[in-house]
Order: sequence, then C-alpha cells, then structure tokens
Amino acid sequence: MTTISRYSRFEALGAYLPAAVQPTSELVAQVTGVSNLPVERITGVAERRVADPDPEAGEDSFGLALRAARDALSNSTYEPAQLDVVICTSISRDKGGGRYHFEPSFARMLVEELGAHSAIHFDVSNACAGMITGVYILDRMIRQGIVRNGMVVSGERITPVSRTAAAEMDSIRDPQFASLTVGDSGAAVILDESADEADRIHYVELMTASAYSHLCLAMPSDRTGGLAMYADQKRMHAKERRRLWSSFYGDFLAKNGADFADEKFDYIILHQVATRFIESSIEHAEAAFGTAMPESLSVVEQLGNTASTSHFMALSQHLRAGTARQGAKFLLVPAASGMVLGALSATISNLGV
Amino acid sequence: MSTVITAASTTAPQAARDSDTSVRLAAQAAQDCLAQAGLPPHAVGVLVNVGVYRENNVIEPALAAMVQKEVGIGLDYLVEPVAGFSFDLMNGACGVLNAVQVAQALLGSGSTDRVLVTAADVHPGGHAGADPGYPYADLGAALLLERCADDDSGFGPVRTYSARGTEGTVGYADLSGASGDERRLITVRRDGDWADRLLDLTTDSVLGYVLEEGLALDRTLLVCNRPTTGFAAQMARRLDLDAAAVVASGAPATQDGEPHTAAPVLSYLQAVRDGLPEGYDQLLFVAAGAGPSVVCTSYRPVDR
Repeated sequence: MTTISRYSRFEALGAYLPAAVQPTSELVAQVTGVSNLPVERITGVAERRVADPDPEAGEDSFGLALRAARDALSNSTYEPAQLDVVICTSISRDKGGGRYHFEPSFARMLVEELGAHSAIHFDVSNACAGMITGVYILDRMIRQGIVRNGMVVSGERITPVSRTAAAEMDSIRDPQFASLTVGDSGAAVILDESADEADRIHYVELMTASAYSHLCLAMPSDRTGGLAMYADQKRMHAKERRRLWSSFYGDFLAKNGADFADEKFDYIILHQVATRFIESSIEHAEAAFGTAMPESLSVVEQLGNTASTSHFMALSQHLRAGTARQGAKFLLVPAASGMVLGALSATISNLGV
Repeated sequence: MSTVITAASTTAPQAARDSDTSVRLAAQAAQDCLAQAGLPPHAVGVLVNVGVYRENNVIEPALAAMVQKEVGIGLDYLVEPVAGFSFDLMNGACGVLNAVQVAQALLGSGSTDRVLVTAADVHPGGHAGADPGYPYADLGAALLLERCADDDSGFGPVRTYSARGTEGTVGYADLSGASGDERRLITVRRDGDWADRLLDLTTDSVLGYVLEEGLALDRTLLVCNRPTTGFAAQMARRLDLDAAAVVASGAPATQDGEPHTAAPVLSYLQAVRDGLPEGYDQLLFVAAGAGPSVVCTSYRPVDR
C-alpha cells in the first residue's frame, strides 16, 4: 500500500439560488387534503427558493448545476479546460421540461457546456450525501495523484416533491410530510492539492448503515405521476440512528488517538433537515462526546432542505455574509437516505467564494 | 501496487420471474463474487453500483445502499461495528470502468481493502422484452477488486474520451404527469448517426490509448461492450485486427436487447474463460456509450 503524503483542499466554492421565494404559509395553503399543517412550527423552515418551471429559464436541475459550476469557476484560479474531472451529484435529474435523465451523465453534459472537454466525467448519486460523497472520491483521486484537481457539482430542483405532497397528503403523519421542507439550489466546489495544513481537507470518512436503506425513497408518484418522496422520518431520525453516527465517528477519532475536543473545530454544519433536527443532533453529540459543540452554521430557515447541496449552501451563505470566517476549521456531517453518515473535516483558508 | 480483479460474475433474471429488479440482479452477482473469493460480506469496504436503468425509476436512495443491504454488508454499526460504504456512480455504458478508476484511488489510498462494483440494469417496468423501443437487456454483473503487490499485473491507467456535439443517446423518464404510468415507462432516444459517431470515437480512443500507454495492439485482446450487434466486427475491421481480437459478448439467449452497464464484465468473462488466449499479453477494456463517451483501461491478469 502506498504511503500517502498528499492531501486535497477546497479551492473555490460556487452557488446559485433561484430568485423566487415561497413562504411556508403559501405552500401549506396548497395542501388540499389537510388544513393548516404546522410545517414551520415543526421544522423551522420559514421559506425556500423555487426554480422557475419554464424550461427557457434554465432553472431545471441541470441548469442549476451549470450556474453553480460557472459561479465556482468565476471564484477559482482554474479555467474550465484545466479541470481534470467533473463529478455531478444531483438526486433530481431533470433537464428540459420534466424529463429525468438517466444517461448520458449530467457530468458529461456539463463538461460540454463548460468547455472542460478533456475532463473525466461521471455522476454520483448518494441521496443528500451526494456532494460529500463526490468530495470523498475526488479527495482520494487527488491524494493518489490520479488527478490534480476537479469539480464536484450538484443542481437540485427538488421542489416538485412539494407539489406532489401538497396534492396527495391526507394527514400530518403522511410519509410525504418532509417533502414540504425542501428548496431548490445549485452548488459546486473545486478541489486541488493542499500545500499546507492550514488549508486542507483533513479527512472524509463515510458509512452507509444499509439496514435502514428503505426508510426514505424518491420515485414518480403512482397517483399523480410527479416526483414524490416517501420518508419514515420518525425511524430515520430516532435516537438509535443518532448513536450510529456518534459511535462510528467516535471510533474513527479513537483509532487516530483523538477525541472530539482535540479536533478544535470552529464550526459544525449538519445536514439542513429542520431546526429541531439540528438542535437535537447537537444535544446528542454533546452528550455522546462529553464536550460542547462548535458554532452551528444553518440556512434551513431561509432555504429549507436543499438535498445534496445543503452543507455547501450553508458554507457559501455564511462565508459570503461574513458570519463564518476563513482560516477556521469546519466539520461537515451528512445524514442521508441510505443511511449515509460520517464526517468531513477541513481547514478552509483560501477559498474563493 | 496495482488493482486486480479477484472475482467476476454475471446474472440474468430467472426465467420463471415475470419481472426482476436491478437490486436483486446486482446483489446476486455480488454474492457470487464473494462466494468465489471465499469472503464474508463484511470483507467489502466500499460498494459502487453503476447501473443506469432501474425498477420504478427510483432516484433515492442510492441503489447501492439497497444492494449493500441485500448482500448484508455494513447493516447496522451498532450491532456489528464494521462499517461499509456505498454509492451509485452513473456514466451510461462506461460506469464499470469509471468505477475501476475510483477503486484505484480508494485501494491505493488505503481507504479500503476491497471494492465491489455492481452493474445491473432492468427496464423500470420490470421486463425489457415487453418494451420494443428499449434497446437494453435485463442483466446484472459484479467485479470484486483488490490490491496486488505485483505492479506488472492489474489495471493500467483509466482514460476518458469524448466527442463534441450532441449526446448520441439519451435515456429519460418523462415525469410531466402525462402518461399516468411514470414509474414503469422509459424512453431511450438515439440520433440517426449515433452508431457511426460512437464507432469513430471508439476507434480513435483505442488508438490514442495504445499510443499513450505504449501497448502493442497486435498483442492486445480488446474487451468491449456491444452498443450494436455488429460493433465488434466493425471495430476489428477499422483497427485492421483479426475478428477474434475483439470480444464483445451479447446477452444470454433468454434476454432481449444488448447488455448495458454489465457488458464489460460479460465480455471479460468470455475473454478469459480459458485463460488469456495464446498470442496476447494483455486485455484492453473499452466501454462506449452515451455522451458520446468512451473509457479505456488496460488489464494484465495475475495468472496470465
């Protein structure tokens, strides 16, 4: 086995948000089968962005990914033709008026549009852990010297599941309840080789606890034909599932002779499911690791759950607003269907945003 | 250090079944690989699933997570603290070879000791033969990949090639709500000149790879997918090779359509059934598909 001395880092970050804002009250009013669902009270999601459904607007999943990719490139020192690999991680795969593409890869179509013609390209799908999974793969490719740099990008026009839920839900316990919390966005990160420890992805460790892979499914509705998501929220986010994360991550830290406090994180970014989910995850982590958690960066109140882009939307929004600082150490924690759990640790010091 | 194939297997739907799922086909092929290698499920660190067409047009979770569950890898860390990780990688017909490149990164960096690649496609309605417009066969395959200390064996660099312009082949589910059967319908649309463009790109890619890696083409057995029935023969003619120098396996006679993401594994098993044939030093895996994109990688079997 090769001894690894090479690391990767985040070089540039890009994001795109559709202009249209939909307040939760407006969405709740569209739910025909149940009155006055307390979505905002339960989840903390006050509003979300909604992509323009007109194919000409270029805000389908592919268009959102393309705009985020262009934004990342505008913040990067790299030209499109210099990218060695493009990995696209969208869950929602619509391009051109409700067509969900299975081939070719979105990544292939992105390299054509961006002018990254010689780039390796493939899609990765791993539910809401998609972008973090893409970073895991690209980090290993850079560390092994297979590529020098690359982009991980995702466009998520995921709000069609909200429309399906609004048309089909008949109780607050309906498995489509979580579909009322999602929002549309695009995000992209460019990685290259790290030159020093103060600007580095320290590790990305991920696990799929596959016994629970059936707890959240997205597919066309057999009632109305639109995209639908069915989630057993109660079982997915039960206390035992939280322990899956803290046991896995705690064991990883212990293997490296460390504990959580030793990591000296400045910020934690959890998957942006709901404010209550974030609060209870932090309470669980503080109890499990016996130490205070770092400052939590959140965007779920304004953007909802943006699926595979959520950690990078939070990073982008807070770095741009100055509510998170460069030179700090970040912990990104996925919690995705599969169930995918883990930890991404990075010191971010020179990130184009 | 190199990356080698420890086991390979393919699966077709059971004749008695009206329909099958990509998860079952992938899991069956994966379990065959583990049985060949004499390994328990928890010996696999990472599972990469590269299938494109799937039951019910499901898009979440990754099918890989469901295959992982079916095979019994990393079910619940609290019950058995051995972690498994999985994800879907999609790049049309090229997925298996992209997954080999990812495996090289994961094995080389010590992230895991074994990568299991599964490749299964089924028509979303459950039976490819029932849809005359759908070109692919319902099939599954798996490759178990490991590290090998012998640098002269295993996979060479994986290279990606693509042509400018339209995609050639596009596969999509129409979710506009017009059909009323969105879970079971799929459209695969091809440009009039898709096969010619793909053949051009594939020929150029093979010649480019051979030149870049310094391979002797006349001592290289080409292991290809089969976008069209005559693809292997046309490749051989273009490259001025003996017809037997290009292996592109079709689907079992019981299945309609051509193999899709499983194709490189089918062709590999056919090529090495009786060991590497006399006169050949290595294989060159070639996958060509939508994009148009082609991925190539050389392979020297351990026991050639």
